[in-house]
Amino acid sequence: MTAPPEPPDLRAAFRERGYVAGDALATALRLVVALGKPLLLEGPAGVGKTEAAKTLAAALGTRLIRLQCYEGLDAQSALYEWNYARQLLHLRATEAGGRPVTDADLYGPEFLMQRPLLEAIRQPTPPVLLIDEVDRADDAFEAFMLELLAEWQVTVPELGTLTATARPHVLLTSNRARELSDALRRRCLYLWVDYPSRAEELEIVRARLPGIDAALAGQVTRAVHALRELPLGKPPGVAETLDWAAALVALHRDWLDAEALELTLGAVLKLREDQLLARPVLEKLARP
Amino acid sequence: MTADLPSRVSALCAHLRSAHGFRLGPGETAAALAALEAVNLGRRREVRDALRAVLTASREEGRVFDAAFDTLFRQGEAPAPPQLPPLLPQTQAPLPPPPPAPASQTGDGGPPRPTAAGRAIAGEEDDAAPTPTRPDPEREATGDPDTSAPLLHARRSPNAGAGGGVTTPEDDLTGMLRAAGALVRAVELGRGRRLVPRPVGSRLDARRTLRSAARTAGDPARLRWLGRPQRAPRFLLVLDGSRSMGEHAARLLRFAHALHLRSRRVEVYAFSTDLTRLTPHLRRAVPGAALTLPDLGGAWGGGTRIGDNLLRLAREERSRVTRDTVVLILSDGLDTGEPDTLTRALRDLRARAGLLVWLSPLASLPGYQPVQRAVAAALPLLDAFLPAASLRDLHALPGRLRQQKRPAAGD
Repeated sequence: MTAPPEPPDLRAAFRERGYVAGDALATALRLVVALGKPLLLEGPAGVGKTEAAKTLAAALGTRLIRLQCYEGLDAQSALYEWNYARQLLHLRATEAGGRPVTDADLYGPEFLMQRPLLEAIRQPTPPVLLIDEVDRADDAFEAFMLELLAEWQVTVPELGTLTATARPHVLLTSNRARELSDALRRRCLYLWVDYPSRAEELEIVRARLPGIDAALAGQVTRAVHALRELPLGKPPGVAETLDWAAALVALHRDWLDAEALELTLGAVLKLREDQLLARPVLEKLARP
Repeated sequence: MTADLPSRVSALCAHLRSAHGFRLGPGETAAALAALEAVNLGRRREVRDALRAVLTASREEGRVFDAAFDTLFRQGEAPAPPQLPPLLPQTQAPLPPPPPAPASQTGDGGPPRPTAAGRAIAGEEDDAAPTPTRPDPEREATGDPDTSAPLLHARRSPNAGAGGGVTTPEDDLTGMLRAAGALVRAVELGRGRRLVPRPVGSRLDARRTLRSAARTAGDPARLRWLGRPQRAPRFLLVLDGSRSMGEHAARLLRFAHALHLRSRRVEVYAFSTDLTRLTPHLRRAVPGAALTLPDLGGAWGGGTRIGDNLLRLAREERSRVTRDTVVLILSDGLDTGEPDTLTRALRDLRARAGLLVWLSPLASLPGYQPVQRAVAAALPLLDAFLPAASLRDLHALPGRLRQQKRPAAGD
């Protein structure tokens, strides 16, 4: 085998930007860059899937183009639209001038409204394309994306086939709201992103909130991990851990006592039932 | 030193494909080899992470991959990891021939031993200790995948639920499919919020109307409409596989399989003392043949803990339960858990699901009274509590559901 090209040290670049990437994520992201294949990130909400794409864009010094998926999203909204109102005005103006209208008058670039997918493949340098929460889109949209992810080209009937000038680095995220098709999975690299270990989460808190008291950071991560052991309706993600720690810092707390807990519980547990269930555990942890 | 690495990777792909049903072809093998060029071969963990990213497509496959990788790229004299049951039990394809081993290792008949490339990865790494994989409650039990699975109705021993496969006898699949199809058609959850192009609708589709007007010199001769389509239901089946369900569990499992064949939007879980997801197994099962599942561990043939498992389901699969979801609980309700836990789980599911239905084999008995603690606690939270002891009951489900269901949210 030939000597591999020197891969970018993404892990260090992520660390500089306050994102503590685990081994598996760092390797998978490196493969996204090296192989040019999309990466499907699955895992519970709030473990940093979307943030990984943002940080990758920052680390590579390129643009982040985001397509937020939702039920009913269609190819038109994701790819391109024609500015009909402007076309109509142009049509009337041209007719009033007595000049015959041609296709070229109506389907020029000034009337083309690029949506995220078209924008991503027309960038001169490879952007990071984030297709967020792809599980929320319909099966039909997922099928439409297959061609794009495999061939990196799209067809606009009036303009012809447009091929990517620079292949984007694509990250797809899913919270498993529905099962994605095998066809989509086969075209992607895959990584399940789980909650971080306690040591990793402590590192994340200290990286994102450099000014936080070490004891408080340790107490918060310990409490969050105890909460994740409970049968909560909405277990806290890393985002909630950071919110909670930030809330405590903002209130100038350096220890998680009963009063601080009372003031900030809403930052970490977002369901009333969960708060009731977790209170005894948290009070035990908050006891001096 | 890494001369036979391609053959090792090919062997790994072939093993994952033949023994576990991974969908890996030459393209995936080539991608795996390309991935290895992008990582440091001296770091075993990096190699494993790279191959896992390329060769797996789901979390479940990741667990199987880790075990297979640890076997094939074992370090030195490290003990062999426990063999996981196959993901695709019905596959009878032979395992790939073992990769060429050094002369000193041939003919020992033992488990595959690390060859030069394996050692290159295993022995020269700086982070030598393999990462311990997280304990997996769904796959804690290990069984011999080669032993023939006993028939479901034969599993009555006190140790049942501690492991073993499941085979349901072939029965009237046509009838099951008919009942499943009727159920899919019968569920009405009202109309969705999104507007889609329809021949007749409630709102003018200005964009398409203008676009079609281009053919008639700008005159909108033909109007286009937008309307709200019927919400297509998703099904989430939670099947009680405990001992008390007896042969009903096998029949309802066949029904779950039939429902899965009738709609792709079906998720199936089984529980006994533990909970496990059956959907990947059903997806790969051959229609018409006897349904054979691998070791389900604590999810089959043991005691019943409905509340704990439903609560776990509601928590772990929260995002799967939406107002388009029909949750079907298939259980006799003979529970050993706390009714409060069940109530909490059902309240959560009811708040999120479009329809919450309990199907009980006992409910078809003449004079049946829903007095079991679990059923009594659940009844106020259910949209319907219906019998499901026979194929006739399953055929009658759509009609009974129409009579009993609450008005769906958004109707």
